[in-house]
Amino acid sequence: METPLQTETSQPKPITSVRPFWYKLKQNQMTWVGLGILGVIVLCSLIAPILTPYNPTQVDISSKFLAPSLHHWFGTDEVGRDILTRILYGARISLGVGITVIIMASVIGILIGTISGYFGGVIDVTIMRIMDMVMAFPTLILAMALAAALGPSLQNAMLAIAIVKIPVYVRLARGESLVLREKLFVKSAQSFGINPWRIIGKHIVPNSVSPVIIQATLDVGDAILMIATLGFLGLGAQPPTPEWGAMISIGWKYLLDYWWYPTFPGLLLFLSAGSLNLIGDGIRDILDPKAGR
Amino acid sequence: MKKIIINRLGLLIFVVFGVTLISFLLSHVIPGDPARMMVGQRANEETLQQVRQQLGLDQPLLIQYETYMKGIISGDLGTSIRTQKPVIDDLEAFFPATMELAIIAFIFALVIGIPLGVLAAVKKNSFWDHASRIFSIGGVSTPVFWSGLVIILIFYGYLNWFPANGRLDMNIHPPTHITGLYILDSLLSGDMVALKSSLHHILLPAIVLSYAQLAVITRQVRASMLEIMEQEYIRTAIANGIHGPFLFFRYALRNALIPTITVVGISFGSLLGGAVVTETIFGWPGMGKYVVDSIAYLDFPAMMGFTLLIAVGYVIINLIVDLTYYVLDPQIKG
Repeated sequence: METPLQTETSQPKPITSVRPFWYKLKQNQMTWVGLGILGVIVLCSLIAPILTPYNPTQVDISSKFLAPSLHHWFGTDEVGRDILTRILYGARISLGVGITVIIMASVIGILIGTISGYFGGVIDVTIMRIMDMVMAFPTLILAMALAAALGPSLQNAMLAIAIVKIPVYVRLARGESLVLREKLFVKSAQSFGINPWRIIGKHIVPNSVSPVIIQATLDVGDAILMIATLGFLGLGAQPPTPEWGAMISIGWKYLLDYWWYPTFPGLLLFLSAGSLNLIGDGIRDILDPKAGR
Repeated sequence: MKKIIINRLGLLIFVVFGVTLISFLLSHVIPGDPARMMVGQRANEETLQQVRQQLGLDQPLLIQYETYMKGIISGDLGTSIRTQKPVIDDLEAFFPATMELAIIAFIFALVIGIPLGVLAAVKKNSFWDHASRIFSIGGVSTPVFWSGLVIILIFYGYLNWFPANGRLDMNIHPPTHITGLYILDSLLSGDMVALKSSLHHILLPAIVLSYAQLAVITRQVRASMLEIMEQEYIRTAIANGIHGPFLFFRYALRNALIPTITVVGISFGSLLGGAVVTETIFGWPGMGKYVVDSIAYLDFPAMMGFTLLIAVGYVIINLIVDLTYYVLDPQIKG
């Protein structure tokens, strides 16, 4: 009963087929620059224990505030820890957290959004008004307030950012499911008496994924910046965790005397967010023919 | 038009209500124990109970919300734990500094962002287009606190061209208080010394704060210009011999600005978010620095008062943006 229905109804493909995707990707040089930079950062953070002999949290007071040299490429901090080592280990936190947060926000957003759009009526109105309330706050300020209310820690900062990011995905998924529920393949599934949850899971969600993927790739860079900002404000990862924002938060007090301390974590933050934005921009150009050009 | 305004005002009241509900939840429900947060970890049980009673935290939630709403309506946002003054007075004192910084940054973002977007669209795929793309991706990828530090390091640390702290030089008196915006006040009272000093101080933080929004505005103007340039009325204009800046600015930009206005509204909100960090880095005595200083003390009333104020302000800005939309484009009917 299920199988023939599915083969018949899988016409609207979520993503244009693979070959033109690769063709367009090959043409888009900026995306490759982004992929290259990000690849190097990810690789270095993964093989950090091989690349550097130092421990990211090991204190060595005798070598504090050493300027960049052959031994310490990016110098050392106020308790003698190697900054490059801390940055490399910190990349795992920043990138990992950024991706996790966006996956959380987008999965929850898709679920709420498709339910809202598919059922309509009171459910839709209630959900969308709640989303309007959340969207009435500037994102960073709401994330700050949430993180402060939950208590300063990396987990709570992640939760706060995921929550403020949800409404965008709800709106996108709702928009898609409003269109999809009028499509013939959904109507016919309904006429077969299939459980609405099954229709949402099998037909609505898979077909509304494409715009969500575009938004998600564009959002990862932003999430990384937000995590670092919360860390910088003392609302995210706490010392001695080698999180980039938390490192800059301590390092900027020493800026004029030991410039390398806040500068290098910030540079890596910029390169990561920048490469992710280049990739996101490229994917949007490829998947969404109306944008960019 | 009247109907739209009434409609939007109704929505405004609803959203403001929602915003107060969220900030109530954030300040009274989510924190494990707000009373404990206020008195600190070392206070004994008796003081804790006292504070709980004082704050009405022993009351049912609905009654707590009622008291909270009554307070807000009468302009009472609680008392700051750090400064021991009413939060509303503190925010009022710091508000002009933030507004001044945000307005100047906003002007930068518009004055540079719009022409840059037009240039990128007109010279599509040229050097200028790619340069503007890199410039704007840089803008959305640079953490504000880091670009602030780098700029301080260069322009204050090495070159010593600009100051990196405060709104005025230490030895200069603030201009006569009229609006609280130093630039405007010193212009109005003819105080050229204060004017020069305040311009000198605002330049770096305003540049840092504007960069991200500038990037967003540039991208949006480029995208909508590209779309408009393909429309028939532009082709007709070209066929009639209209070309160059007159075509781009007088014919195309007017329509391209309509989608940009939504982005501009949102970007003013983000500007206020960015101000929190920028003010901290540049020691700018505004609401943002006030709230960051409050974080260290877990000064909840101060943080929530700020959040509420910004959210309400943001809602009003978005309302103004929406209304401008209807005025600019007669085709849109609510």
